[in-house]
Amino acid sequence: MLEQLNEKDFGTPRRIAEQEVTLEIDGMQVTVAAGTSIMRAAAESGVNVPKLCATDSLEPFGSCRLCLVEIEGRKGYPASCTTQVERGMKVRTQTPKLQALRKGVMELYISDHPLDCLTCAANGNCELQDMAGVTGLREVRYGYEGENHIHSQKDESNPYFTYDPSKCIVCNRCVRACEETQGTYALTISGRGFESRVSPGQDQPFMDSECVSCGACVQACPTATLQEKTVIELGQAEHSVVTTCAY
Amino acid sequence: MSIKIFVPGDSAALALGADALAKNILAEAARRNMAVELVRNGSRGMLWLEPLVEVQTARGRVAFGPVSAEDVGALFDANFQNGGKHALNLGLTEELAYLKKQERLTFARVGITDPLSLEDYLAHDGFQGLRKALTMQPAAIVQQVTDSGLRGRGGAAFPTGIKWKTVLNTAAAQKYIVCNADEGDSGTFADRMLMEGDPFVLIEGMTIAALAVGATQGYIYVRSEYPHSITILNEAIAAARKAGYLGPNILNSGNSFELEVRKGAGAYVCGEETSLLESLEGKRGIVRAKPPLPAIAGLFGKPTVINNVISLASVPIILDRGAAFYKDYGMGRSHGTLPFQLAGNIKQGGLIEKAFGVTLRELMYDFGGGSASGRPIKAVQVGGPLGAYLPESQWDTPLDYEAYTALWAVLGHGGIVVHDDSADLAKLARYAMKFCAIESCGKCTPCRIGATRGVEVMDKIIAGQDTEAQVELLRDLCDTMLNGSMCAMGGMTPYPVLSALNHFPRDFVKKIPV
Amino acid sequence: MNLARHTESIASIISSQQNRPGALLPILHDIQEALGFIPPDSIQQIASALNLSRAEVHGVITFYHHFRTTPPARHTIEICCAEACQSMGAERLVEHAKQRLAGSKHGECEVKPVYCLGLCATSPALMVGEELHARVTPEKFDRLIEQMGIKT
Repeated sequence: MLEQLNEKDFGTPRRIAEQEVTLEIDGMQVTVAAGTSIMRAAAESGVNVPKLCATDSLEPFGSCRLCLVEIEGRKGYPASCTTQVERGMKVRTQTPKLQALRKGVMELYISDHPLDCLTCAANGNCELQDMAGVTGLREVRYGYEGENHIHSQKDESNPYFTYDPSKCIVCNRCVRACEETQGTYALTISGRGFESRVSPGQDQPFMDSECVSCGACVQACPTATLQEKTVIELGQAEHSVVTTCAY
Repeated sequence: MSIKIFVPGDSAALALGADALAKNILAEAARRNMAVELVRNGSRGMLWLEPLVEVQTARGRVAFGPVSAEDVGALFDANFQNGGKHALNLGLTEELAYLKKQERLTFARVGITDPLSLEDYLAHDGFQGLRKALTMQPAAIVQQVTDSGLRGRGGAAFPTGIKWKTVLNTAAAQKYIVCNADEGDSGTFADRMLMEGDPFVLIEGMTIAALAVGATQGYIYVRSEYPHSITILNEAIAAARKAGYLGPNILNSGNSFELEVRKGAGAYVCGEETSLLESLEGKRGIVRAKPPLPAIAGLFGKPTVINNVISLASVPIILDRGAAFYKDYGMGRSHGTLPFQLAGNIKQGGLIEKAFGVTLRELMYDFGGGSASGRPIKAVQVGGPLGAYLPESQWDTPLDYEAYTALWAVLGHGGIVVHDDSADLAKLARYAMKFCAIESCGKCTPCRIGATRGVEVMDKIIAGQDTEAQVELLRDLCDTMLNGSMCAMGGMTPYPVLSALNHFPRDFVKKIPV
Repeated sequence: MNLARHTESIASIISSQQNRPGALLPILHDIQEALGFIPPDSIQQIASALNLSRAEVHGVITFYHHFRTTPPARHTIEICCAEACQSMGAERLVEHAKQRLAGSKHGECEVKPVYCLGLCATSPALMVGEELHARVTPEKFDRLIEQMGIKT
């Protein structure tokens, strides 16, 4: 279903440059425009690096840490969304170490997320669900009794979509879409650390904030945190049509 | 001739009643009809002796300490103003072993001069480095700093000259010098002591940096927990500007450099350079992804030199005395000196500037005199809250960046926090996770969620619940944080946690009551 | 202080600072210094002056632990709870402080943790406003709150 409905997401925006760069990703020679991210270079050659905070309509952010890769001769595990390609670079996107790190990150995500996938409005169209599958997460050893956001109050003030903070993974895609796509700046992150949560205006209901209901944030959300009310009522769409108006 | 008495105005002295003491000295002198010149100097760094009062005598400065406001009458009775006999008389300050054994380059003037007297600063080799720099080409200044071997004293130990070179070689209409004075590590106070004890040397270092890279605006980002440092810096900047050492035409050279103090607002993570830049721009102090490096796109997107207080304050002496002079101190690739800060449960805590290569044992026993409690020392945390805990078997390793890396430890900003045998390392490991949870900026997942889970896992370990499985989970979590975090906040919290676990495993096994 | 006077003093702070680059933090500091906190209803005023959204200003205020949006207690005592102070009994000092102040009336005195005051060789340490105290024993703490006029 996902394949048909959603266009392929290359993770970071296309870069236009006269200069081209050739590098090696998982043993394949890949040539892309200079300034392209490793993530996009991989995606263009058919290698999908796991990701959650990256989407090709927004500038890379680097927060989810699922897209970590190994680069020969470089220390650590750089994020492929925020690292640009360089000539002759040798990148590996799939190794046992990377698999373990991604699984470790997913285990943390799911330790603060409701387990209602089957009845969730995003079921079948949820990137978090996809990534839990991709990373092979089978168990959350932290348990679910720890500190969490599961009982956060849902905001249904907007007529077109709902905001459910309990499902938020703080990827900032909505905040960035509001800034980069729409230029409204109606959203921020409130608090810091574990307390961080998306906040319209001053921790207000969407309708009392500076939100103009453009839907860019809903479009950008990888989970059911920002969800269209029609999807909640009717289920995931079975086909899509290209239109022009954002509203 | 009037009597010259020194009572430190450093925060540590103030916190121990130096203001009341100074007031009493003036009142007592007035009562006795004595003319007294009172200087509020910086601290000598022998903090167990604070407030440390000094008097100028023909033989040199004589120290008395620790002096309380109530001691003043008796001190005058004992003719202390002429170095008279008294139980608190410590003898000539310069002869005190704690000071005599040090190699004070960056802290050469701290405690000696009046921090806000330009005259005093000039009389003690002040602005010699700047004067030399004004005769040099920018690239030559950068080369001097590179050749000196100076590495970032904030903790990351990146070669300062290389950073400057990148900024110099990046063309831009506007460049910035930013001083990272967000000294948040527990056990550290070198930045604070320097800003309060010799602010002009920081101003001079930043001005040299500006000349070296072509910057015209500088900011000193000071944490809000350091109100006295902020006051003193502001006064020093005003004085330096008035005298032509800052401003539109530095010493009539045609070079311009303006300097401003900005105040943090309670965020440890803003000590991370990219968070600090975000904060300076008036935003949430969220870590930026690197690249781009701040040297290429830093403050307001412009090329920016961002260095720690001690790095910048070490530059004037390098320019004045030459790169070779500075480089000669130290060992291996750790050149120069580091102001170590001996803190926590230690009898004689304070600031010890020494060349790299000294050992923890020397610092803790030869200087520190052992624990304050008199109990055996159990563990030492070096390099702040993100630094490893070192057991006794590692106390003889020379303090050198590479030697510490080999121990899976860090020198960081040179903070040393001593714990006696009453410390429970499992509790300290829990605290390390807790601190990360409190201070995490919340951007990346390993730090944002990981630290909170880390506290919960430690709680289970401390309660003795399923210890083996929880310890395994703790190790996996530390691996995720270490290798997955965006910056050192989440990425180095595993240092105190795992070093505590590895070196003090018994503290992690619940003791079953008999 | 009434609302009109708030608005007025905030306006004068904003106008004196708003042209500095990165003016938001200096403005927030000045407002908190003048009023003791940053009134939530002033956020629109600050945002408009700096050409920011309310969300952006709110995001910044809630990020920094130093800023507050509610009036503070009459006295605030910040006790350092970081490692160096822990090694010299900060935990016991916090317990003692809480116990001593348990009986004080609401809004009289708030005890807050702070993470390092740079007084690590003279611990445990605390700060009241901008006034520092080091080597604080329970007895010294009791004398301090007595001098501050806090009724327990």
